[in-house]
Amino acid sequence: MAMEKRLQKELQALVNDPPVGIKVDADQIGQNLSEWLVNVDGAPGSIYNGEKFQLQFKFGSRYPFESPQVVFVGPNIPVHPHVYSNGHICLSILTDDWSPALSVQSVCLSVVSMLSSCKEKKRPPDNAIYVKTCSKNPKKTRWWYHGKQCYHSEYKTSLLGMSSMGINT
Amino acid sequence: MGNCLKSPTADDISLLRGNDSQDGSEASSEPPPPYQESVHVPMYHPAPNISRPASQLTEEEQIRIAKRIGLIQHLPTGIYDGSKKIRECVICMGEFCVGDAVRYLPCMHIYHKECIDDWLMRSFTCPSCMEPVDAALLSTYET
Ligand SMILES: [Zn+2]
Ligand SMILES: [Zn+2]
Repeated sequence: MAMEKRLQKELQALVNDPPVGIKVDADQIGQNLSEWLVNVDGAPGSIYNGEKFQLQFKFGSRYPFESPQVVFVGPNIPVHPHVYSNGHICLSILTDDWSPALSVQSVCLSVVSMLSSCKEKKRPPDNAIYVKTCSKNPKKTRWWYHGKQCYHSEYKTSLLGMSSMGINT
Repeated sequence: MGNCLKSPTADDISLLRGNDSQDGSEASSEPPPPYQESVHVPMYHPAPNISRPASQLTEEEQIRIAKRIGLIQHLPTGIYDGSKKIRECVICMGEFCVGDAVRYLPCMHIYHKECIDDWLMRSFTCPSCMEPVDAALLSTYET
């Protein structure tokens, strides 16, 4: 089927010609290719230099028409304003701005570049609420992409709720 | 490689496949729209990222889908003859083979007809350059 065929090509390309700092472990990928682990290095020159991260990709049967589910997993979740401590990533190409021209490789490179542009290691402002209340699948989160800030909509809703109750935020 | 094999799948009605429903209750006009996961229930995509079984489409949505199909059919198609600079369909990542049915977008990016039509029902943008197809089309086809 289309999804497997395309993933097969992506895997082959990543194994044969991996970009610097991105490594897929082909042996860990099962027969149907629907779940991948990709090792990603913090870029030299960035505040994540020398750190190692792991991204988990889950592909639905409608890939590449629908985006994969992508989260950080493993012992080291980057501390970043768009990365929640449960590994969820607020990055618009993973939901609203997904295009079938994107790939595992381009998603990994975007994530690395998102990390690289960060100047200060800190969690998103709504990390505590989000991690407690979110779905396991980050694609079920309604993300709000407000320039450099990102919020999930439950947080936004709770802010709105507070102001409608007369509490100034 | 195996890309030249014609699969007996999607025509313009490929929009009938894929995607799941949403809880709907919170789907407002606020950005961004909710995103769904796949299940195997036939679904329409009344708007990008919104899917519903045919039975739950409003009349307005049915009209919009019909219009979308109409617009897609206005986009020129052709048979790949090997003379184009673009050699690969970025959606399936397969190389074009002579004889493949392709569709041309106004930005001049080309894709397998089967691949791009499926995408255009979800989002009326070019996957490669993100150029909205709408505006260009309307100026060409509307008077
Ligand atoms: Zn194609
Ligand atoms: Zn284009």
